[in-house]
Amino acid sequence: MKDRVLIANRGEIALRIMEACELLHLDYVALYTKEDEESLHVQRAPKKYRISDYRDMNDILAVADEAKCTAIHPGYGFLSENYRFARRVVKRERPLIWIGPSWEAIRDLGNKLYMKKVAHELGIPVIPGTINPLYNEIEAEFKAEELLEEVQAQGFHEVTFLIKAVAGGGGMGIEEVKNLEEIRPVFRKIRAYAKRLFGEEGVIIEVKIPKFQHLEVQILGSKKGEYVHFGTRNCTIQSPFRQKRIELAPGFCSRFNYEFDPQKVEREIIEYSLKLAKHFHYDSVGTFEWLVTPEGKYYLMEVNTRIQVENEISAKISFIRDTQVNLLKEQIRIALGDGLGYTQKDITFKGMSLEFRLIAEDTKRGFIPLSGTIQRFSYAPKPWLTLRTHVPQDKPYTIPTQFDPNLALAIIYAETFEDLLERSKAFLEELVIEGKTPKGEPLVTNIEFLKENLKYVYQFL
Amino acid sequence: MKIDFNELTQRLQTLKANPYKIYPVTTPHTGKIVEFKVKEGMKVTGPTGKWLEKPGTPLFILEREKNLKVIRSIYNGIVENIRIELLNKFVEAQETILEIKHTLTQEEIISEILLSTLFVIKAPETARYILNPEIAKKIEKEGLGKVIVKEGTELLIMTFMKRETPIYLTEKGTFVLYRIYFKPFEIVQSNAPLIGLCPVEDLPYLERLIQKIKDEWPT
Repeated sequence: MKDRVLIANRGEIALRIMEACELLHLDYVALYTKEDEESLHVQRAPKKYRISDYRDMNDILAVADEAKCTAIHPGYGFLSENYRFARRVVKRERPLIWIGPSWEAIRDLGNKLYMKKVAHELGIPVIPGTINPLYNEIEAEFKAEELLEEVQAQGFHEVTFLIKAVAGGGGMGIEEVKNLEEIRPVFRKIRAYAKRLFGEEGVIIEVKIPKFQHLEVQILGSKKGEYVHFGTRNCTIQSPFRQKRIELAPGFCSRFNYEFDPQKVEREIIEYSLKLAKHFHYDSVGTFEWLVTPEGKYYLMEVNTRIQVENEISAKISFIRDTQVNLLKEQIRIALGDGLGYTQKDITFKGMSLEFRLIAEDTKRGFIPLSGTIQRFSYAPKPWLTLRTHVPQDKPYTIPTQFDPNLALAIIYAETFEDLLERSKAFLEELVIEGKTPKGEPLVTNIEFLKENLKYVYQFL
Repeated sequence: MKIDFNELTQRLQTLKANPYKIYPVTTPHTGKIVEFKVKEGMKVTGPTGKWLEKPGTPLFILEREKNLKVIRSIYNGIVENIRIELLNKFVEAQETILEIKHTLTQEEIISEILLSTLFVIKAPETARYILNPEIAKKIEKEGLGKVIVKEGTELLIMTFMKRETPIYLTEKGTFVLYRIYFKPFEIVQSNAPLIGLCPVEDLPYLERLIQKIKDEWPT
């Protein structure tokens, strides 16, 4: 039977999944909620169902059965890293294919503490910090003191701690502490926040790496035990809440001077990422996130067991026997049982790519997300530009308030760094996004922030 | 505060001419409608009891992933426009299945008229709202029309794009929290009324106004 994919996500990723399905000649069915009726992902899908919430597992599965789907693509966010859902999808009476890694891999790698423990045991460098969740503030203070001594012995000066909710992520439930006296009040605050938001109180303490670049390794594994990588990305430019805003591929750039051998570091973080992927029999696309210090030390931070927003910048510079790769297409194909059909030797890299995340947010007032209506959205099409958006360009679009106000992704390609930077600037100069807030004020976006931050690409921040 | 009693009488007359409100009943989620529990013209009730602990009249049954869910009325009224053709069909979420024609009560008429009399705090964004927990506690204890708020009081919390934003009273003076126009955690459209406040010095006028409505609109 021909496979039919249920796209359990919204916005631009739903559109990219549709495109990948079409390239593979697969049927697909889209989902949407009432607030999203105007989104292009709804307009474009020939077959679609309205559900109550993108997180409602029962609604998604009920539609999968009704629409006779055989596979579910969870996209990113929502249920994509929910191992219980992934398990239910494959284990139910009418099993479906989960387009993502095995539920066991999602469970084990998604549990940051367990992942850290295993990585540590495998000799993979991880960020100095507590391995087990803390529930008691006195214990937290004691652990912080221990940690301080440990890292001071390693040559860290002016140590800052990060108090993190175990269940947090995406910049939520995390706070910095400079003095040991602050550990207890901040610990209490984060624990209360975590309990309220995630229903899980566990908190960990890590040492803040003061200056770093955020690198990530793009891995692809198949169900047949084959593994390849599609190089690295650099996602150092983020909002103060640690949400990515500008991403580049590859992770290091030969135009910059490093105090270490960047090729060696890149090779090593790729090797370590593959080692961990193999340990967990990882069988899909996945991203291994690393912090690299100016001295060339590196630490594994977390693993994203899903397709990532910024996957396409890797795809733009990766070629399999001279054909540009499409990571969504590879992810779907492999989930449906295909082997890779190529090895690492067949993959070559050419050029550079940059991604901007265009968001309706007030970067001058704490990056608050904004709602409103987009009245004008125009940009100059270029052969080197790929724009991914669910925002219609031919009519006004009201940003739903239940989700992040992401408007578009702009993916830019060039052969050299100089061209990449020039094209990126040119794109932002020509881009127009205009709209109004519910109060009738002009809607601001992060375009200015992106312009100002272009000067920091490939810097240690 | 001045009350224009002529205008009030006129508004009451308009409301009396058509004292109804039509509430569509929609599916909370997807599923198959396996049974209708009501027929057109039937009288149904919303939740009753001191704590609204007794559920409303069953309207229809929705089956999803082998679970049955009884959809019950949350309003008093008469059933209209049942989409009987949907029986044994798979329906999407938020599909209108039937309507309930509800006759406005004295309390609802008062709320409606007070909307144009009270100082109303409107929703700044389409978002979910809750009362500030302390104020909610006070209201639970003392009831509406008793709790005093001042400039700078945190009245509400707005949950919007995954962030919580407090809403403060920015108006000078001392007010009594008189009416609540939203349900906690439900999406409120931007500019819809959230709460109605009455300046303390205007309370006697407001009580006269309410008495007048009560006289004109018996229960």
